[in-house]
Amino acid sequence: MKKLLLVSAIGLSLSLLAGCANKTVVKYGDAEAVETTSINFGSTDLQKIAQQMTESLLQSPVVGTVTANKRPIVFVDTVKNKTSEHIDTESLTDSISTQLLRSGKFRFVDMSKVSAVREQLNYQNEGGLVDPNKAVQFGKQVGAEYMLYGNLASIVKTNADKSDVYYKFTMRLMDLESGLIEWADETEIRKTSDKKLVGW
Amino acid sequence: MKALLVCCMLLAAQISPALADYKRNEAVPVEKVLFGKVTSVRHISETELIEDRNHGWKVFGGALLGGTIGNQFGSGSGRVLTTVLGAMLGGSLADDNHPRAKQITIQLVELMITISGGQEYMVVQDFDPTMVFQAKDKIRMVYLADGTVRIDKQM
Repeated sequence: MKKLLLVSAIGLSLSLLAGCANKTVVKYGDAEAVETTSINFGSTDLQKIAQQMTESLLQSPVVGTVTANKRPIVFVDTVKNKTSEHIDTESLTDSISTQLLRSGKFRFVDMSKVSAVREQLNYQNEGGLVDPNKAVQFGKQVGAEYMLYGNLASIVKTNADKSDVYYKFTMRLMDLESGLIEWADETEIRKTSDKKLVGW
Repeated sequence: MKALLVCCMLLAAQISPALADYKRNEAVPVEKVLFGKVTSVRHISETELIEDRNHGWKVFGGALLGGTIGNQFGSGSGRVLTTVLGAMLGGSLADDNHPRAKQITIQLVELMITISGGQEYMVVQDFDPTMVFQAKDKIRMVYLADGTVRIDKQM
């Protein structure tokens, strides 16, 4: 009988301990701090790529000539993600276009909002609620002169002791009229992780 | 010691198995990636008969538990008898309560895909509630180095 009581007591204690162990602590951190949680694509990689690409584009002599007397209109195409990871490439292009826009040298058209804009213009011109003299007219938008696009690829190697991931991000600026590539650059990231048998 | 063993087995029995899902945030070798659009989506299910591989352990656990309880009664040779009877009864009950095979239903999704070049592919993969596909969705067709193919939404 004593043993049965002992078993019950141990079981109850373990259950209570398991319940107490599940605590969540929330903290604010530096958004630009280096993130090394895992070898996979992370916030530091995204920030590094966006910053390097923006600096390279703005410092390019060809782009300097193009933007000398005017602010070219650019369309940003989606980045082709050729890695195994489900990466938010839209966030990457958003960061790049925001930094370029803040430089004051480029203007952008947002193709992801075309249907919302069309809906609004339809409302203004056909809804009957907006003064026709003040409604924004169809066919007044300006077209993009350049297209910014890129590729993200990775090479992954793993063995029993080590994992190595190499990311390569390539970006290009194309003149939509001539089809010429006016600027191109690439940036690389290499991350390695050692698999430790014993850790603290 | 025996009591502790029984206790651990009881707790282990309460742990439910983790659900299988795609590891979309893991960097693994890729052979190639094709880009395209979903033409049509069809949700299907497949029923499988799964052999219970833990059956032996469950019977053993039942016998151990029964033996432990039986061991609490009687004294001398009577105690041995109650222990044996308890073990037999526990093992038998565990055997009766756990069917050797169980039926599981796997939720699948059948995707008709048109690749940028115009080629059409039909892919059947596990339904993932975190990534539900719809017609006209832009997708990536990821050929992994382990010989499998996975469809992801483009972001």
